[in-house]
Amino acid sequence: MEKTRWFWVWVITSLFFRLVLIYFPENLNLGFRPEVATPLTSLRRLAEGYWLKQSSMSPYAGSMYHGSPMLLSILGPLTVKRIEGQPSHLMCSLLFVVADLVTAMLIRATGQTLQLAYSQSLRSLNLVSLLESSETLSAGDIAALVYLWNPLTIITCVGSSTSPIENLLIVLSLYGACLRIAPLAAFGWVLAMHLSLYPVILIIPVILLLGYGPDAPPRKLFLQKNSSENGNSPSCHGNYPCNEVTSQEKLPLHPFLWRPVMHFMLWASFWLFYVFVLCSISLKQHGGLLEMLKRTHGFILTMEDLSPNIGVLWYFFAEVFDFFRDFFLIVFHINILFMILPLAIRLKHRPCFLAFVYIAISSMLKSYPSVGDSALYLGILGLFINELAEMKFSFFLFCGYIGVSLLSPVMHNLWIWRGTGNANFYFATAIAYACLQLFSPDMDKWHGPALVCFCPPESVFQLLQGWSMGLNRRGNLL
Amino acid sequence: MKPRMMAGSSGDTKNPKIKPRPIVRIGIFLISHSIVVSLLCFAAGIVALILLPLFAKNTYISENALMPGSANSMLSSQDVKEANKLVKDIIGLKLSSEEARIEIPRLIAQHMADAGSEVYYHKFHPQMSQFYPLHFFSGSPNSGNIKENHSCVSHAINTVGIIRAPRGDGKEAIVLVTPYNSEKVELGEALSLALAYSIFSLLTRVTWLAKDVIWLAADARYGEYASVTAWLRDYHIPQFSALEKLDADICFESGYPHEQNENQIRTDVISRAGTMAAGLVFKVVDKHKETDKDTLSIYAEASNGQMPNLDLINIVNYLAVHRQGLRVKVEKLYFLLDSVFLKIVGDVLETIGKVARSLNARWEFGIPVADYIDGAATLASSMYHQALGVPTGSHGAFRDYQVDAITLEISPKVSLNNEVRILEFLLRGGRLIEGTIRSVNNLLEKFHQSFFLYFLTSPSKFVSVGVYMIAFGLLVVPLPIIAASLYCDANVLDSHCIKEQQKSGPASTNEAGIAFQSWRWLHAAKVVLVIHLWGAIVSLLPYLMYQFPEMTPTTSMLSWGLLSIASLLFLHQILGSPYSCVTVNQSPNREWAVLKSMMIAAAGIGLGLMSIINFATAQIGALLIVPMCLMVHPLKHVYRAGRLRTLAVTACNISLGFIGFPPAAFLFLKAYSEGLGSVSAGDFWNWVESLWAWNSATYLYLGLIHLPCWLLFMYVLLHPC
Repeated sequence: MEKTRWFWVWVITSLFFRLVLIYFPENLNLGFRPEVATPLTSLRRLAEGYWLKQSSMSPYAGSMYHGSPMLLSILGPLTVKRIEGQPSHLMCSLLFVVADLVTAMLIRATGQTLQLAYSQSLRSLNLVSLLESSETLSAGDIAALVYLWNPLTIITCVGSSTSPIENLLIVLSLYGACLRIAPLAAFGWVLAMHLSLYPVILIIPVILLLGYGPDAPPRKLFLQKNSSENGNSPSCHGNYPCNEVTSQEKLPLHPFLWRPVMHFMLWASFWLFYVFVLCSISLKQHGGLLEMLKRTHGFILTMEDLSPNIGVLWYFFAEVFDFFRDFFLIVFHINILFMILPLAIRLKHRPCFLAFVYIAISSMLKSYPSVGDSALYLGILGLFINELAEMKFSFFLFCGYIGVSLLSPVMHNLWIWRGTGNANFYFATAIAYACLQLFSPDMDKWHGPALVCFCPPESVFQLLQGWSMGLNRRGNLL
Repeated sequence: MKPRMMAGSSGDTKNPKIKPRPIVRIGIFLISHSIVVSLLCFAAGIVALILLPLFAKNTYISENALMPGSANSMLSSQDVKEANKLVKDIIGLKLSSEEARIEIPRLIAQHMADAGSEVYYHKFHPQMSQFYPLHFFSGSPNSGNIKENHSCVSHAINTVGIIRAPRGDGKEAIVLVTPYNSEKVELGEALSLALAYSIFSLLTRVTWLAKDVIWLAADARYGEYASVTAWLRDYHIPQFSALEKLDADICFESGYPHEQNENQIRTDVISRAGTMAAGLVFKVVDKHKETDKDTLSIYAEASNGQMPNLDLINIVNYLAVHRQGLRVKVEKLYFLLDSVFLKIVGDVLETIGKVARSLNARWEFGIPVADYIDGAATLASSMYHQALGVPTGSHGAFRDYQVDAITLEISPKVSLNNEVRILEFLLRGGRLIEGTIRSVNNLLEKFHQSFFLYFLTSPSKFVSVGVYMIAFGLLVVPLPIIAASLYCDANVLDSHCIKEQQKSGPASTNEAGIAFQSWRWLHAAKVVLVIHLWGAIVSLLPYLMYQFPEMTPTTSMLSWGLLSIASLLFLHQILGSPYSCVTVNQSPNREWAVLKSMMIAAAGIGLGLMSIINFATAQIGALLIVPMCLMVHPLKHVYRAGRLRTLAVTACNISLGFIGFPPAAFLFLKAYSEGLGSVSAGDFWNWVESLWAWNSATYLYLGLIHLPCWLLFMYVLLHPC
């Protein structure tokens, strides 16, 4: 009881803290920071799109808005609603606070489900002694608190960007998959994909979750256990067909259930259809669905906006020659796809962890990343607190995150406002950030090698090379 | 540096039989010899700092387009005679201050208009100093939204003239600024006005002008910086408020000079002339100090250690030395010139240089003693002014808009009492400024070719960022190494402890301890976080105290201290005391080591950040913080060691704890330089207030990095281990 009370106290304090910060948006001016608001998630752009739409123009006119038309219909009216004497985007900000709270609660519920499944599988492996080590708060509570109190989450929430909603949808889909509620999972997945495209790769963990159930130790372990027990059990000597009997009893191996997966597929196609219908109604006069896909998903894939952000791609595409552009666009997007399959094979018994790794990778390699993405995966990271306990570089990573997140605005200031630095300064922090992100999925000693074997290091090396080329070309670094 | 930490911690857990990769081995080596390595690095850092004047390079003009001195000067003695008339007019006005306030702008405007330029008056109120802690960061200078009730008398009036360039497109401009005190004009100020007038009237006639020229005769009644910054603000950020208009209308009658031809001189509109390529502030100072040559002093430091592009200084220096034969000076700390220490170092360096040259004639790295001392004094001054973050003149206002600007202070060799001397002096100064304008006029882009980050060691020598970063880097390198080694030691010891406990007792209790072993630094992190939070609160407290303006500095200082202590106690009350130990099985004598390594990590990150915002502050701060971080050791723990060592470590720690406390350090320095009698507790308050008023990042550094680091130092020192 004591613990639960503490949990709620901290949750409420975090919400209160957000409300206090929302009250001073002009002083913080976070909506203008490239780290917080990207061309896809900026609320200012959304307000502009809404204004265009109200004056019966296409919301995508003028390359200002690149989000979904549905977001426009939901958030748009809130952006113009003003209360006298209050900060301008108050209503939206309140909505984001609610979204954050719901996300945290969903993470907590997911964590509890995971915990339950975990203890079940441990019990079936006769490793009950390990269970007693779970002390203080449960993993779900910790993950929820980490999500709510992460400075990056708070900044995203206060900084008027639509990332909290995207995060909410991603977590919603994972939650639905964990509880095997196919419609919910499909709803979250379809909307998340619609809003920011990259969650499309989450279909693999979601299907695995629906098929196999939540994370469990590898199948090998169960098989070994069963076979050794069968070998040792005195009752199984001779020609008794006890092998099958015991395996029937002992093996908690869940076979792949096709039923929920098929449900999921059906529901997903239904939701997708529904979303498209809604969008096409809303964009009837302005070019319809094709225009929407071109301006939203096309904008993400072709990387049209090269304004600086915390990712690594803007710099690269600002440097690269035009006739190589298409080639490198393909290379960078394939980079993400390359990692999907090997990781899925390696981690198929732990779909939630797989989802976390996917989110981390896409937040590193996506075209317009923001701190909101890392807020999400750092929150989900909290779900694996038991594995994290043996994390080696925790201290180093912690210092790194603090250093980079403070350094990035300073470098930006030096480049844009003071004029004494140049783009290389800011990009240096982007590279440091990308390297840090490389390390954080690497925390698990079993799964680390699997990750490092694949692309990220080499793509980071590519970028480093590009950077040094840029340094040479720009000549005077200082 | 950070990969080393990582490599080290991974090295400990690796199987010793497998030979680790070279980088890991280097990491292990560094961490296992951390004390020696850090001592070496620290000493090398100090030595590199002392040697900086030796590594200064000669300045050179980097941008080819500038071509200083390639054209003949066109300023004739006729122009100068005209200007001299203006001097006589201004000096001869003999008015009360009330009349002079209006009459002098009228006179200047009249002259500007007669020369054939656009003229307008710019009226402004002095701005109250306000606290914008992140002002340096937001980039856009504050538009000053706060409207105060000013009487019309409190206006000051800048007079501005603009020449439109015959060959330009009106997109770029060069700004000349001559500050003068309208209430009491002195000869020097009149001369600087005349100097500007002579050039201005020349520039209206020349054909080569490609950038507009703006002459701002700044009314320095409320300080020259205030007037320049007010004009720049209105120039860059247009005000559309109706209130302003109304205000202007009411005060129109009394505030502005009356004109016979009023349609010629505008008062309500600010005309503009494109982006500014450079700003030149010039002043004439009549010092009555005999020297062999006219002297030109250059002031360049803007707020927060920002410097104008080195090329601007180079042109002025080149023209002054090689064309006009002036003696050029930059500021130096004069008391360092008599320093015995610098003299000894200089002697040693000179001897080494001589010996080296006798061995091989091509080795030329020694410099004469006098040069060394001079360079060191100039470097120290340069570093001090950058670190303070307070601009050295009104040129600082330009830097907020990314315009390169410097102040030129010209002083004649003898007192200016006869007319021939004045004419000669005006001609020389005028030709210097004309040449500079002509060079800047040639520019095709903004100044970008030369350095922005540098220290001057003489007007023609500089130390660039690539060199002075080395000294700082060497000072800071020990921090991550020591942090990593402390952290690893604590971890290794801990795991030993746990193993022994497991051997002796049943293994049931320690599962959690093992599991969360690598997260044990969280408690220390919490302590460090709380202390830094406290630092933020302390630096915001003066904002609260400004609500009671009638406090004296001493009472302010005292209440600041008391409030700080109260807030610290309060924070500990709600967030837990720093010494409480959560996990039972953690060996207690290692808790302080984790805390120390956390403190060092925080200090390292802070110094790294500060070195980007304001390098000089970080450099001076590192000289204090790094020894604190390296030396600190719990006093209780020390007593177990030998007697001599105990004494030495205790003495070092206590003196560092004293010096590291900002008020103590400040008062100590003040007492050292000015004698004990002049010191009072309010001095520190006044100093901090000046940092505030200029929105210096140094204030934030003190509050957010240095003070928390000092408090953590005290915590570790008094740790009950």
